[in-house]
Amino acid sequence: MSLVVIGAGIAVLTGLGAGIGIGIATSGATEAIARQPEAADKINKTFLLGCALAEATAIYGLLIALVILFLK
Amino acid sequence: MSLSEKLMEHLQVKGFMIGDFSIPQSVVVTWGIMAFLTIAGFLLTRNLQVVPATKRQIYVETAVTGIYAILEGILGKEGKRYVPYLATVLLYLGISNIIGIFGVTPPTKDLNTTAALAIMSIILIEFAGIRQKGIKGFLKSFAEPLPLLVPLNIMEIFIRPLSLCMRLFGNVLGAFILMELIKAVVPIGVPVLFSLYFDLFDGCLQAYIFVFLTALFIKEAIE
Repeated sequence: MSLVVIGAGIAVLTGLGAGIGIGIATSGATEAIARQPEAADKINKTFLLGCALAEATAIYGLLIALVILFLK
Repeated sequence: MSLSEKLMEHLQVKGFMIGDFSIPQSVVVTWGIMAFLTIAGFLLTRNLQVVPATKRQIYVETAVTGIYAILEGILGKEGKRYVPYLATVLLYLGISNIIGIFGVTPPTKDLNTTAALAIMSIILIEFAGIRQKGIKGFLKSFAEPLPLLVPLNIMEIFIRPLSLCMRLFGNVLGAFILMELIKAVVPIGVPVLFSLYFDLFDGCLQAYIFVFLTALFIKEAIE
């Protein structure tokens, strides 16, 4: 049982990468909007796309953790 | 251990038995959403005039024009014909993600719902590509930009719907599990604040991202 829980915990570590990625994307987006406020719409779209793609890895980690925990 | 058993119970697809058929809960909730959207659409579009006289028509026109403007901005002029489908999916997903506030199980917490939506999306994407380029051009587009990338481009057909479906499902499920954990720690007050973030903000954001990514892929296919 304990090893299974540790495995699930390791799988959730994917959130680390997603967090760093979204942080970098946000810093880039704020900087870009500060420099060029009139391009905010386009920047927002690209930013959301990047966030969605970065977030996907965290979601995969979560799903794998759930599968390990519940469907072992 | 009781918490994990409780979560496990929530994860299973519940159904209503009618005769020998089991109708999943998500289907029943989806019928409710369909009825709501149909009735709302009927009531809101009655007695429309060329020059809007009622506030209701002005609000509806603003909302519809806004959604059209967002989607057309992504799709461009050639993709205009796909806007009504995407707007419908946006409305359905938006409502089904928000419905959790009222204590109804969101249909998107069922993997089958998101999988069906993702399969519909990928069929629409490939159909848009075939319609725009013809069969020959569509097959040729697999060898772009390099013939070496053919296996990757074919894999993309399967990865895109998988990723669309898992992103939506995982977000709704993850929010649900977090909410259950918060409720287990602090039962009063605090869950309301988090529910606002998870159900309202994250639900709307995920609905938007699903439609946005589909629109982006269609745009890529018809270019």
